[in-house]
Amino acid sequence: MKTLVVIREKDYEWLYPVFPGVHPLLVPVCNKPYAEFLIDFAILAGSNAIRFVSDGQLGGLEHYCENGSRWGIEISYASMLGDEDLETVIDKNRRYCSADRILCISGFVFIRYNKQHDYKKLIASLSPGEFISCSHGSLSLLGNTGNIDNSAEKPELSLVGLDSTGVYYRLSVEILKCGSSPYVLPGYSSEADCHIGRNVVMSKSTEIRKPVIIGNNVQLLAGSVVGPDSVIGSNVIIDRESTIIGSIVLDNTYIGENLDLENRIAAGNILIEPESGASLAMEDPHLLTGIKKRGGGGTVFQTFVHLFVAVLLITIMLVPFALLFPILRLQGKWHESSNTYYTSSSGKTLTLTTVAIDRSGPLSALALALSLDRFALLFRVLGGQLAIIGSQPVAATPGSRMVLERMTGYRAGVFSYAEAEEWPVNGGDTAIVELFYAAHGTPLQDVVMTFKAFFNRIHE
Amino acid sequence: MIIIEKICHNITVVALQGTLDSCSSSQLHYYSSPSVTEVPLVIDLSNLDFLDSSGLGALVEIARKKREKGSDVKLACMNDKVRKVFEITQAYRLFDIYDDVEAAAVNAGNKKNSL
Amino acid sequence: MKFHVETLSGKNIGIAELSGRLDAENSAELQTSFALWQKQAVFFVFDCINLDFVDSSGLGAIVACLRKALEHNGDLRLAALGPKVSMVFDLTKAKKLFLIFPDTPGAIQSFGTGGAS
Repeated sequence: MKTLVVIREKDYEWLYPVFPGVHPLLVPVCNKPYAEFLIDFAILAGSNAIRFVSDGQLGGLEHYCENGSRWGIEISYASMLGDEDLETVIDKNRRYCSADRILCISGFVFIRYNKQHDYKKLIASLSPGEFISCSHGSLSLLGNTGNIDNSAEKPELSLVGLDSTGVYYRLSVEILKCGSSPYVLPGYSSEADCHIGRNVVMSKSTEIRKPVIIGNNVQLLAGSVVGPDSVIGSNVIIDRESTIIGSIVLDNTYIGENLDLENRIAAGNILIEPESGASLAMEDPHLLTGIKKRGGGGTVFQTFVHLFVAVLLITIMLVPFALLFPILRLQGKWHESSNTYYTSSSGKTLTLTTVAIDRSGPLSALALALSLDRFALLFRVLGGQLAIIGSQPVAATPGSRMVLERMTGYRAGVFSYAEAEEWPVNGGDTAIVELFYAAHGTPLQDVVMTFKAFFNRIHE
Repeated sequence: MIIIEKICHNITVVALQGTLDSCSSSQLHYYSSPSVTEVPLVIDLSNLDFLDSSGLGALVEIARKKREKGSDVKLACMNDKVRKVFEITQAYRLFDIYDDVEAAAVNAGNKKNSL
Repeated sequence: MKFHVETLSGKNIGIAELSGRLDAENSAELQTSFALWQKQAVFFVFDCINLDFVDSSGLGAIVACLRKALEHNGDLRLAALGPKVSMVFDLTKAKKLFLIFPDTPGAIQSFGTGGAS
């Protein structure tokens, strides 16, 4: 048997702003990524292959699950369009679906099951069609009819639609309380309802109150109290005298001294009140902070190359700028406007002054050809705040944070890759070029692309 | 790049083989030319070894031109290498992607009939 | 930071409206202002309805104000904490130090009902 998982981006995109930087399908439910529960269930139901289908990005999921060899199951990935019905999706995966019986999991739902039961038998005894559903999704069977047996016992099975932090929080606590008897939970456990991961350092005065799950590489400092009903992820530090009750602390989080976390979700520097969904991004290292694994972004070499090109361009533009800028300014053709832009995919912002030059007269044409409107931005490259070439800067508005979440490897540049490539079509499609080079670019290629962009603007 | 054309369910299926980059993308210009924009098309990507941004540009152009005329291009049988490029660039948001040439051809045909 | 004094059953109550962000940049300013306000009143209400953000230094400043008010046999009460500010008070246990009211009139009234003695 095979399993087809169809989850639409609109159903899970609410999680992007809640847990930035984590793929929504990898957000841990209790202490394990959501997708792993689906994989577990598919295996339990007798599948030897799973295909994840979504209209959103699956890169993060694929990076984590790879080909599924870790679970001894074959995992593949496919795309769909957002407004398609299940029938079309199945048709688009006809080859995958043709061979066998297919268990189709549709919607962003959590499947409540109990590993003690025999789901293979259940699946074999059902006729094709939907056999369980909720308002957010369903489980159905496709393909040939099994040995229909209505007398077969019906093991525990229900669906929970994941649509809010409240549901997510209650589900995590529910799983924590029922422990590893129905689900497969990672971690070492010598007693029920207390799982502790590897490399957990506890002070003598730390108090643990069951039920509790603690991940790997966790430090619980003097006087801290953890539990009851708490889940601590991996790479977490709970500082002195802090209390964690009924709360979920996700991976890579530092909880400062003397704090009181009760019925909250903490993820990096974000604190969430699950029932109301209110969330607060702390900017204060004394309270909550994200623990960074490794500084991302460009390498030293890349930074150096960008710096070098910026200096070169500044040298080229300096004299024309000094001559043309005062004239255009006097003519009233030089318009400056200040706006805040995102500079990297982590959400760092920067206020940039962008310049628009009226397209009239030979002088403004010359200024535009020499990209003098970008002159001031080049100095931002020297400060390391902008790349010489990257994505077109995205204006920082509450709405565009979501756009940014989708743009893996986004780095705002003085020039954009789209300007360098002569693409037959433009508009929204430019993102395709930018994303391509964000993933495939090399420092030397950046130099070539920068000059291509520069010369393209001359020809314009 | 080698282009092999065949007909499947009355729909032209173009199988691309080799490398689709800035050098070879011009080979696809024919499929976005005015004489064929109204005809639906299926592009079989199973033997495409490499795809870069200009290659993607050529595919996007075909899709845009065909859609202007109410027709469409369907992609079929992406291998993992090609799928990764579509994933990274999110170009998958623009295309109907099938894992089977026949299914793609049948659906491309349905679109034609409904017009 | 707007400040005015209201009189209730013979007591002068200083009402301060905090707004925007209270962080390392302006928390010292709050403390200096508070020292001036103390010349006009001993009882205070901080109206937080327009306060969007507090960090640990901002919180430190509010707690310092409370301490000064108590030194002069007065009190400082808080009103209308927004959800984000409220979360910081919860997290840092500062909630236990203050009497917190849903709105400013309620906080002012509370001084009249003997709670201030």
